[in-house]
Amino acid sequence: MNHSDTLPKNLIAEYDKYGDRTIAMRQKDLGIWRPYTWEQSYEQVRQLCLGLIELGLKREDKVCIIGDNDPQYFWVQLAIQAGGGVAVGIFTDSAPPEIQYVVDHSDAVFVFAKDQEQCDKLLEIREQVPRVQRVIYWDEKGLWSYDEPWLISYEDVCASGRILDEQQPDLFESSVEQGRGEDTAIFCYTSGTTGLPKGAMISHRNLIAGCDQTLMVDPRSETDDYVSFLPPAWITENVLGFTVHLRTGMRVNFPESPDTVRENIREIAPQAMLYSARLWENMMSLVQVNITETSWINRSFYQLFMPVGYKVASLKYEQRKPINLYWRLLNSLGELATFHPLRDKLGLTQVKSAYSSGAALNPDVIRFFRAIGVNIKQLYGSTEAQVHTLHVGDDVKFETVGVPVYGLQIKIAQGGEILVCSDTVFQGYYKDPEASEKAIYRDEDGKRWFRTGDAGHLDEDGHLIYLDRLTEMITLEGGENYSPQYLEGQLKFSPYIRNVMTVGGEDKPYVSALINIDFDNVGRWAEKRGLAYTTFVDLSQKTEVYDLIRNDVVRVNRVLPPPARIHKFVLLHKEFDADEGELTRTRKLRRGQLSERYDDMITTMYGEDDSFQVRAAVKYRDGREGVIETTVHVAILDTEED
Amino acid sequence: MTTDQVHLQVQDISLNFGGIQALSNVSFTVRRGEILAIIGPNGAGKTSLLNCINRFYNPNSGSIQFEGHEVTRYPPYRIARLRIARTFQNTALYTGLSTLDNLMAARHIHMRSGMVQCLLYWGGAHREDIANREVVEEIIDFLEIEHIRKAIVGALPHGMRKRVELGRALALEPRLLLLDEPMTGMNLEEKEDMSRFVLDVHERRGTTILLIEHDMGLVMDIADRIVVLDFGRKIAEGTPDDIYNNQDVINAYLGEADA
Repeated sequence: MNHSDTLPKNLIAEYDKYGDRTIAMRQKDLGIWRPYTWEQSYEQVRQLCLGLIELGLKREDKVCIIGDNDPQYFWVQLAIQAGGGVAVGIFTDSAPPEIQYVVDHSDAVFVFAKDQEQCDKLLEIREQVPRVQRVIYWDEKGLWSYDEPWLISYEDVCASGRILDEQQPDLFESSVEQGRGEDTAIFCYTSGTTGLPKGAMISHRNLIAGCDQTLMVDPRSETDDYVSFLPPAWITENVLGFTVHLRTGMRVNFPESPDTVRENIREIAPQAMLYSARLWENMMSLVQVNITETSWINRSFYQLFMPVGYKVASLKYEQRKPINLYWRLLNSLGELATFHPLRDKLGLTQVKSAYSSGAALNPDVIRFFRAIGVNIKQLYGSTEAQVHTLHVGDDVKFETVGVPVYGLQIKIAQGGEILVCSDTVFQGYYKDPEASEKAIYRDEDGKRWFRTGDAGHLDEDGHLIYLDRLTEMITLEGGENYSPQYLEGQLKFSPYIRNVMTVGGEDKPYVSALINIDFDNVGRWAEKRGLAYTTFVDLSQKTEVYDLIRNDVVRVNRVLPPPARIHKFVLLHKEFDADEGELTRTRKLRRGQLSERYDDMITTMYGEDDSFQVRAAVKYRDGREGVIETTVHVAILDTEED
Repeated sequence: MTTDQVHLQVQDISLNFGGIQALSNVSFTVRRGEILAIIGPNGAGKTSLLNCINRFYNPNSGSIQFEGHEVTRYPPYRIARLRIARTFQNTALYTGLSTLDNLMAARHIHMRSGMVQCLLYWGGAHREDIANREVVEEIIDFLEIEHIRKAIVGALPHGMRKRVELGRALALEPRLLLLDEPMTGMNLEEKEDMSRFVLDVHERRGTTILLIEHDMGLVMDIADRIVVLDFGRKIAEGTPDDIYNNQDVINAYLGEADA
């Protein structure tokens, strides 16, 4: 790693080091992976930057970019920054009014719009963005007959840059030299779940710090490959893709088109991968579906060896026990017959770091990938302060999002909000001092802290437990918070729990829960133990089943502060049912309905009694109506003990 | 109109199947570089006309001149050499082959290597294969079908097959492209994509296009001129505006109003 303080200076440093001998990036075009050396990258940025200066780009000007991941996007961004400007990424699927908002709010003077689709959107909003002097495109397909002087091609800008270069050969280098680490490099517009998007101003120093902090725990090198397919307007691609490329020389590979990403990932087999939790789940179900359609021999191997994979992964990661020779041998056979071929299909043969971000990943998915030899790790971050925490090495816990990256401090404020202090904390929101003021505060030592707006706490190993957005937390009578989403999500990870609704609020002293057991899994568990039962009602009220579920509740409680723990729960005598209006058709809880319906039971949980007589009308599948009468027990847990 | 502007001249074409008169004395010209649409109610003879042009059918009388060649005298396989390509109403692809192979197969008229050379895959044959692959890859890029390059055509959805079929027609590097209902069975988005591709082909490659289509709104948007057939006869010809206001066409489509 070099000591340059801006991204364009990093480019020059890498160019000096590698020149035309090393491949900087590749793009698949017309069916072939086409390499670009560092020299080519450098030349493109140089020409384009000078072309922009010739067009009138001044320092601190904002320039918007809207396009898919490709080398040009990368060069455009660096050329803007080399000219002292700020690059503002816009998501390609934005509708014209959204584009208009960002272009207008950022005061952009130029817009790079990749192709006909994006140029058409800009032509549509032209009247509303009078500050934009020119729109520059780099994929001319379909634009051949546009007679529109507002549009200009990337090539034409480069051509005028070459002329300027001949006249002033030192201009590019001196322009880059003027750049400072504290200059704003990019704006990232946050999607804004409430209100309008805000433009987070992120400096070169922020990006370089974010990259270096992550690399300290998860190093990359120039022999590593990376596939760039996350939206480049998103902070993650900027840090883990673009900046890591410039800091370490890691090769960036651009897919042929957004539709070929999966195939292209397989061809490259990158060392580092970041998918959303959703994508990992998709990959797992894809394997499970495709295995039913494959040849019988592959299918038999899969059925034979997957249990071995699960067993070994469980020994290694969950029980942390040594694996004996017998299992090791079986696992090697599985590796040969199933695991390696599967990883190959998924482009995971060389992966060293497989990350998941966004929602918590279902442990079933984690177990599946561990079984085939990929240890997925959770990563947590924000636009404003980049990567906050991640799982390092084999230190992976289902319920946490990992430990803070090197050089980043986390503390939990009163009220449970996660605060982050690091060189990555952004400069503020553009033209919004009020929001910036709210988001950043200085402590007595003058350190800048970012208020994430997320709720969480640290466990004894220093792992961060992310609960939910602070606004989604519920306050109890005593003023303490708890997260229904976290509790319910974590409990549902248990194979024995089908559904759960937590109860709490300002009129309740503690948290309680209504739990649906998973009839199939609990039934199987009971059969194995020779536990006789007749119906769902009967099974749900067995003491042994209560003990079984209690273990899961205790497991979840253990990582939470005492007030946020579940104090009492009942195992319901029936399942939540969409037909009875208890769930939506997409199987989400209808909390209002449920609270009303089980009001008596909830009242019992906040009283002295430990059981409750239920007489409930039920609608059977065939339309008949009946009445169930039973006693439902209330389980009480000691929430104070650890 | 000078002879230079005429790309395809259809003169007094008649075609009957037994007692059924599919086409009677149909005449029109297609100008070089235009998009001409043929419209008409079901059974008007539109597809039969296309079949006469690329010699699937043998017209009973009349002549069809393409770039000075009398195509009615040519056997069907020579039509491809004249660079007349077509797509079909119901796609006619090699369903067991990949998209790529379907497109490569259409390049055969541009290949010169003999069997032995191809078997050895050496020298000329190798170079030729690469050159043809380049042409095909350009088309794949043009039609944005990279993601199905290696997919078996039989497993593709209808809209994609239609696109592959257009690709195969383009792989011939046609000077005249006959499109038989390229947008049938597509949803609005697919139709918009396809229209864009047809317009791009026309604009970028200057290909003359003869198009049959049912979607009137779409025809009005993309065609330079329109020929209307009804019961095997030509009842109108003109610009979209002319056709839009033509009483005979309105009658043919909606039935005659009782006076």
